[in-house]
Amino acid sequence: MVKYIAKRFGQIFILFYVFLALLFLLLDLQPGDISQQFVGNPNIPPEAKVIMVRQLGLDQPKIVQLGHHLWNYSFGMDMGVSWSSYPREVADILFTALPRTVFLFLTATVLSFWLGFYTGKLVAWRRGTVVEKSVMVTSIFFWTVFYPWFAILMLWFFASQLGWFPIGKFITVETWIGSPFSADSVFILMLTSIAAVTLVYGILRLVIDRSTDDPRSRQNLHRIALWSLIAVATVFWAFNSRRTYAMDILWHTVVPVLTLTLVNFAGTTLLTRSSMLETLREDYILTARAKGVPESTIRDRHAARNAMLPVTTSLVLQLAVVIAGGVITEQIFSWPGLGRALLGAITAEDIPVAMGALALIGVLSLLAHLVADITYAFLDPRIRVQG
Amino acid sequence: MAQTLEIESRGGKAGTPLLEVQNLVMHYGTKEGDVSAVEDVTFTLNNGEAIGLVGESGCGKTSIALTLLRLLPDNSVVKSGDVRLDGESLIGLDEEQMRRRRWRDISMVFQGAMNSWNPVYRIGDQIREALRLHWPETLTYQEETERIAALFELVGLNPATMERYPHEFSGGMRQRAVIAMALSCNPKVIIADEPTTALDVIVQDQILRELKKIQKELGMSIIYISHDIAVIAEVTERMGVMYAGKLVELGSTIEVFHRPKHPYSYLLLKSTPSITGPRRKLAPLEGEPPNLIEPPSGCRFHPRCPFATQQCIDEDPPLTTVGEGHSVACWHWQEVPEIGGLQK
Ligand SMILES: Nc1ncnc2c1ncn2[C@@H]1O[C@H](COP(=O)(O)OP(=O)(O)O)[C@@H](O)[C@H]1O
Ligand code: SF4
Ligand SMILES: [Mg+2]
Repeated sequence: MVKYIAKRFGQIFILFYVFLALLFLLLDLQPGDISQQFVGNPNIPPEAKVIMVRQLGLDQPKIVQLGHHLWNYSFGMDMGVSWSSYPREVADILFTALPRTVFLFLTATVLSFWLGFYTGKLVAWRRGTVVEKSVMVTSIFFWTVFYPWFAILMLWFFASQLGWFPIGKFITVETWIGSPFSADSVFILMLTSIAAVTLVYGILRLVIDRSTDDPRSRQNLHRIALWSLIAVATVFWAFNSRRTYAMDILWHTVVPVLTLTLVNFAGTTLLTRSSMLETLREDYILTARAKGVPESTIRDRHAARNAMLPVTTSLVLQLAVVIAGGVITEQIFSWPGLGRALLGAITAEDIPVAMGALALIGVLSLLAHLVADITYAFLDPRIRVQG
Repeated sequence: MAQTLEIESRGGKAGTPLLEVQNLVMHYGTKEGDVSAVEDVTFTLNNGEAIGLVGESGCGKTSIALTLLRLLPDNSVVKSGDVRLDGESLIGLDEEQMRRRRWRDISMVFQGAMNSWNPVYRIGDQIREALRLHWPETLTYQEETERIAALFELVGLNPATMERYPHEFSGGMRQRAVIAMALSCNPKVIIADEPTTALDVIVQDQILRELKKIQKELGMSIIYISHDIAVIAEVTERMGVMYAGKLVELGSTIEVFHRPKHPYSYLLLKSTPSITGPRRKLAPLEGEPPNLIEPPSGCRFHPRCPFATQQCIDEDPPLTTVGEGHSVACWHWQEVPEIGGLQK
């Protein structure tokens, strides 16, 4: 297993550099010279231009430029400065946007996977019922819907018609006037508490699994651990002065997360259903029945557990689609994340920011692949053992 | 505690009736019509006995096995007849009562047992699941492990391998482990449906020999099912020959093997290359098994039978006793010749 993860990690590392180099070359292949563009830019004072020519090293051979580029991105931790919001550092812009994007996608992915898997499983089990048919029709609608139209529809309905949620954006400016906290610090604290709960829960599970072999007491202890952690986190926030601000951010996340979740959820449901139907025909399901395994256990422990494998695989393959959809989502909901930074940078011809955003999105998708691969290896012993 | 963990058969006194199948009729409903897969089948399995069911593929052997465990697909209908275990009707039980009897009372080694294992769980844990479901007392993890180890040793597997996943086992090992799992809850009856069909001949022979040894040692009651009459001959004391959903001959294995009285049994034996005896001239068993949606009138074997007469086309022959515990469903059983040159 360790060998497998190490191998994957190595591959991802190499891929990242190939990706960076390709980005660089692609930009270099553009007609015209980059220097032309910024030399003619009246927003940049002349003395800065001199510095920037040197910084860009445009007088050097291409291969050296590429070397510099890669070096700065990895070891120099330097992605240059923005052209459109000079002299703000690209890294500063992007690392502010990054957690917002990660939050949006992680929440939507986890929610839609969990819900979609659960629904798909039940629907396959109740094959031929009205419930199955209506879930199928609904899922196919969400799955095939023209996404930007649907996102706008959601905004119109929940924000404009019902007025329950804000029309896009990350925070309500009026609430934050005179706030002693910055929006990002509150947001980061929110993310940290979610991460902490997840991490501690994971560790507790491991400890519990080692301490007892009885599946029933294991399950009970898992539940107790989870609920006490959630209780601790709730109490922490209830007595925190950042509470109102955190609620404001949370309020803004609902519609975008819901929209993304609905669309991804439909795909997972459809896929789980067909994967489940296939699994139910396997010989080991008949064995389980012959063993006198109760039906609900056959569904969950035997069929669904195996049906999960192809669903996980496809999640990896769908990643590119999800990322593309992400840019649209952030744009429509005015969500100030990486996708929006990228789109804004392209419109403003802010090449350093665009490059940085693309590189970060690349890193994110590679990492997501890695996580999905490792998850898959954990789920399927046939891969786990091979290493 | 060691006492309760012993591997044994929970059947009654040897020779007394254990599982009685009485006039069983089972059909599958399809768009084209009813498939008459099991037609008026009657036989008894006694305690401590190994019996066999033999017949061409598609003649309804697996359907009988699945009826005994009530694992039939949704489109099946048990039209009439009964299955009694220790005198109690299994057909009349509700689903939950039946579920508790599965594997505890009747366990099964499936056709294609290679795929009987769930690929994502360890072999040992899958046997553990059966123990947790059916063992009357709650065993500790350690006791479960000890029992699985004992089962592994009994079937010729290294107990350390219980930690492995199915894909780490060879076909033969998987099949041995299936047998270990079938024995895990000390059942009364084991049904072995084509237990060795997917294996190569050498492994097949080893496993059959060991199964026979275990069956004798534990006094286990087993129903073997196979399309291969040589397999049935090796491991059973009594056997039934099936043709197109019907039981056409029933008798002691030696008797049926040496003096088959049904033309189908006769041709089946003639067309099987003998393992032990001298080479025989292979007699052809011509034609295809019939369509069970519209089976032939009268005797279902008549389109392929060299002895068929008008009576065979018109009337269905009843199962009649032709010797000590030997019965045949054929109008002209007396005309079937002695099999030449066959020795057991
Ligand atoms: N689910 C089903 N629906 C309809 N027909 C079936 C079904 N299962 C089996 N059959 C038919 O029933 C007959 C007996 O099948 P089976 O019991 O599997 O035979 P065997 O085990 O002897 O090969 C065959 O003709 C087969 O096509
Ligand atoms: S009854 Fe007639 S057709 Fe049937 S097996 Fe006997 S001789 Fe052949
Ligand atoms: Mg069969």
